[in-house]
Amino acid sequence: MLEWSDEDLMIRDAIRGWIDAEVRPHLDALDSGELPPYDLIRNLFRTFGMDEMARSSFKKRAAGEGSGRSDGSGGSGGNPSMSILPIVELCKVSPGLVTAMGVSLGLAAGTIMKRGTPEQRERWALDLLTFDKVGAWAITEPGSGSDAFGGMRATARKVGDEYVINGSKTFITNGPHADTIVFYCKLDDGRDPRDREILTFVLDRGMPGLEQSRPLRKMGLHSSPTGELFLTDVRAGADRLLTGGGGDGKASAKQNFVTERAGVAAMALGVIEECLRLSVDYAKTRVLWDKPIGDYQLIQLKLAKMEVARLNVQNLVFRHIEMQRAGRTPTLAEASAMKLYAAQAAAEVAGEAVQLFGGNGYMSEFRVEQLARDAKSFQIYAGTDEIQITHIARDLLSR
Amino acid sequence: MNIVVCVKQVPDTESPRKLKSDDNTLDRAAADGVINELDEYAIEEALLLKEAHGGEVTVLTMGPDKATDSIRKALAMGADKAVHLVDDALAGSDALGTSYAIQQVLGRTGFDLVILGAESTDARTGMLAAMLAERLGVPQLSLANKVEIDGSSITVQRITDYGYDKVEASLPAVVSVVEKINEPRYPSFKGIMAAKKKPVEKLGVADAGIDADKVGLAGAATEVVDFADAPPREKGQIVTDEGDGGAKIAEFLASKKFV
Repeated sequence: MLEWSDEDLMIRDAIRGWIDAEVRPHLDALDSGELPPYDLIRNLFRTFGMDEMARSSFKKRAAGEGSGRSDGSGGSGGNPSMSILPIVELCKVSPGLVTAMGVSLGLAAGTIMKRGTPEQRERWALDLLTFDKVGAWAITEPGSGSDAFGGMRATARKVGDEYVINGSKTFITNGPHADTIVFYCKLDDGRDPRDREILTFVLDRGMPGLEQSRPLRKMGLHSSPTGELFLTDVRAGADRLLTGGGGDGKASAKQNFVTERAGVAAMALGVIEECLRLSVDYAKTRVLWDKPIGDYQLIQLKLAKMEVARLNVQNLVFRHIEMQRAGRTPTLAEASAMKLYAAQAAAEVAGEAVQLFGGNGYMSEFRVEQLARDAKSFQIYAGTDEIQITHIARDLLSR
Repeated sequence: MNIVVCVKQVPDTESPRKLKSDDNTLDRAAADGVINELDEYAIEEALLLKEAHGGEVTVLTMGPDKATDSIRKALAMGADKAVHLVDDALAGSDALGTSYAIQQVLGRTGFDLVILGAESTDARTGMLAAMLAERLGVPQLSLANKVEIDGSSITVQRITDYGYDKVEASLPAVVSVVEKINEPRYPSFKGIMAAKKKPVEKLGVADAGIDADKVGLAGAATEVVDFADAPPREKGQIVTDEGDGGAKIAEFLASKKFV
């Protein structure tokens, strides 16, 4: 893949038109956290028929399984650009909106689709895939970030036919608003906590003992509400336990890391393209000492570096699309390498865009400061840069 | 119901537009082409009528090869098929020639209703609907901001300076629409994917039975003899309010015949 196809460009232009009309007027409210992103995401789904497509693809898959014709992979068989392009375009204005959407679809619904029974998928995943409901995916705890499983303290204790869940989670995207929560914890069976089995439950908003916090204050990504979850003796039946897909919760969560990390490259591309576009415009129009600042080599260097980053990240995204078309999934190390490079590139480009704009860059009106704050999160969530490095190096050294 | 929507590809209004110095016609290669804005409302109205009454929506475009992009967008919005009249002999056609060419194509496709935007953002003559109706010998319902169909009769609200007229006619008919009529939809992803499989019939002048002498620059009854760049905007006038600001503004508006 060298370029977006004509069909891709039509999708891109349609999304751009929708963003201009529906998202840009609300950017301030989104970035202050005053406007949660969910109604806009639902509007996006309705406008482009993404809800109907999800519903029909879900039903097709269910019917295929009934007749034994499905491979169970859940692949839509559609054009992968169709999910990548909205990510790229939306990240030009609101990476948080994409984060909220991606966590609900890719992580919460994705886990239920991979590991749930047909009944569990029908009960929880369908409404998430159509975005009728909002999902969260809860692993991280106050004492365990990068060491997510080792340090995990949330527990489920079997009592009769039920499990009693206790513990707390933090930095949970959509946590304050989620209707459906995919929750990871350890089976309390008396073994050493580090050796305990990881269980994955699906919880519903409003279950007795489940408390969802208000959004946490953070550096950026304000359009993606992040919160805490507190569970006190939450009783969950075995019908809420996800056991399919092979391996325990840890193995399935790692598969999600691949999806999530590859997705960050598309998000980074959006931020980089927008920062570059704004910077080029500014370099041509901002005049200093009787010349547009684009005539000065220090500014040219910034623009050239941004373009190099854009080309590299675009190539990573194109490669990922080609892999999807070929039915291949990147390894964890490949996804980590993509994410590491793309996240650093986006953060650097956005930071340099602020610098290129000078005082105006520090002002919200010129838009780049928000992208710089938002892009920083790419280096931290879905595994910090340091964790990506570990995964890449471990893979290299194990060959 | 067989609905034909006339769609024109025009230079993007957001990019600078210019005329060619050799023949004073629009330089279509100089700017990105987009669907004429009012034609998007025409497409939407055609789709709404089809959804309410059944039938088929055909997009009809006369224009160069690159007008295919606009056809694809109309098909992605939900039109069923398209006819693309494309021939070098058509380049430079004026409204009279265009209406003749489209009449010939409509003779082939047949129609119960022809819908088009009230004017295009490039030439802005706004004459095509009237010329087409006259050539086809069917009623013209112009400047519609509401269309209703009941059996073989059509009623529109025609916008006027004082409100609207209710105009009724029998089908077949030609309707031109204004932007107040609806909110054009975005093409759905499914629609975009389906568009490439929808039939697009390409016709040349000879295929459509068009007399080449009646179209193109040579066959045009009108000619742009000269053109000039728009003069730069004049400086605005600042009225300082010294207790008589309101009166001064009223005076200014009256001098420009706004009030």
